[in-house]
Amino acid sequence: MFKHLGVVGAGTMGAGITHAAALTNTDVMLYDINDTILRRALERIKTDLRTGVKKGKITQEQMTEAVTHIHPRTSLSDLHSCDFVVEAAIEDLRVKKDLFKHLETSVKTSTILATNTSSLSVTAIASVLHRPERVVGMHFFNPAHIMKLVEIIAGRNTSRETVQKAFDLSKFLGKVPVVAKDTPGFIVNRVARPFYGEALRLLGENVATHEQIDRIVKSIGGFPMGPFELMDLIGIDINFSVTQSMFDQYFGEPRYRPHPIQKQMVDSNLLGRKTGRGFYEYSDEKAG
Amino acid sequence: MGKAKRKSDQRSAVSGQTSGGRAVLSIIGDSPLVEEYAELCGSKGYDVVVVRDSKGKGQKSKAFRETGAIPPETSLALELTNTDLPAKRKNIEQLSKALSPATAILSSSITVTATQQSSWIDKKHRLVGFGALPGFLDRALVEVAPTVFSPPETIEVVRTFFHSLGKEIEIVQDRVGMVLPRILCQIINESIFALQDDVASPADIDTAMKMGVNYPLGPIEWADRIGFKNVYAVLSALEDDLREDRYRVAPLLKQMAEGGDWWKQSGTTS
Repeated sequence: MFKHLGVVGAGTMGAGITHAAALTNTDVMLYDINDTILRRALERIKTDLRTGVKKGKITQEQMTEAVTHIHPRTSLSDLHSCDFVVEAAIEDLRVKKDLFKHLETSVKTSTILATNTSSLSVTAIASVLHRPERVVGMHFFNPAHIMKLVEIIAGRNTSRETVQKAFDLSKFLGKVPVVAKDTPGFIVNRVARPFYGEALRLLGENVATHEQIDRIVKSIGGFPMGPFELMDLIGIDINFSVTQSMFDQYFGEPRYRPHPIQKQMVDSNLLGRKTGRGFYEYSDEKAG
Repeated sequence: MGKAKRKSDQRSAVSGQTSGGRAVLSIIGDSPLVEEYAELCGSKGYDVVVVRDSKGKGQKSKAFRETGAIPPETSLALELTNTDLPAKRKNIEQLSKALSPATAILSSSITVTATQQSSWIDKKHRLVGFGALPGFLDRALVEVAPTVFSPPETIEVVRTFFHSLGKEIEIVQDRVGMVLPRILCQIINESIFALQDDVASPADIDTAMKMGVNYPLGPIEWADRIGFKNVYAVLSALEDDLREDRYRVAPLLKQMAEGGDWWKQSGTTS
């Protein structure tokens, strides 16, 4: 059904999507601006595939076969044969708009153009095209070769057929697609906001310590991680900017208001695991 | 300091054997929470009495008996009303009148603080709040909210009682919503706002949260399990207490709490 898939952007998400597609023996044209980035992405995919073999998720043969289906490319015109292109460039509206303008002239008129975004408006990205009806959002979750969920985002002008094709591709890749309207945060990032926001409010109001809140949420709620552990893992700066972005996109809706604790921690470079300290200390792990 | 007197007021044998038989535990409040607690406490060896105005018409359980009057020999009382605060107040007042001052009252304090509840009675030292919602009784932890009037002895009675049920306690400040109910019900509220805004179908919202961020249950199925009436009670208590738009209850959630389960069959995409 999808003989040639294009993936634009060979970062973490692009590599993960390529990985997932190559395992279905789909030929993937992986595009990025230079060979160095592409080589690094390929190494990353190979490492992840090897991990999959070690864990018994895939066989050695599947791994070898998958690698033959990945075709690194540095010219967008090489994506001409693709029926479906997933763009996974950086989360910057201007960059994405620019890419889509170029993509439209590089591919067939029937090609579906998907954007992997967690925070930008699919409608805004599609607005630069002559045919915005063939643009759809596909929000993959990191790591994209493992996480099953894909949020399929129907923009204001996305056609039903385009949504259906994105749905079909997700299924074809072994994913679980859900369909959401093009609204800030879509489903997951929106509905998850109170998990962090209320925990921060409880901490700020001194109802309980962060350790207690994590313990209660895990032990009584059955969540795999507490909100403070999870903010440390995600990065307190990242979590803060997602919240800030939701708050701005909803024009100051108080449910999405960030908490001063977040800002203070970002100001003091307590960003979580990556700096060795966030709500918890990670002294035995490498900082920086 | 009156500490000695207080001590003599407390009966520390709540979880153990009182002389001449099993400890009598009186339970009063909302269904199905009352039945959940009665079954659990019965299975742990307590002589459980469910206090109801009208005798239950449902099937009889071996784990507990039902009466219309509060047994005076009660050694610990549980008040489990979250939805109807006037009824809760009546229950607390009746328990306080019927029982000796040495008997502790453990009362759900999610929708009204334990401190406020203790203002309804004279012997304020006997009342301690805790977090009780349907669907969490198999968990190894429970939130407990003492008040400024709760002496260490009362808290020990509570700790011993929950230990006897196989639970540890986490002592938190006495605030509306406590910790888990506040976080969870706000997640549910947001999911219903998303549903109301027609962002996605109920099934897709649940799937997205389970698979995208590993929630043990989807927020909508979770609300269904806890009961939309209970979720609404928690959220509107938060709204009243905190008086911020952040705690505005989704109008659709209110309808779901009032209108039964019509929404389960209805298509949501317009």
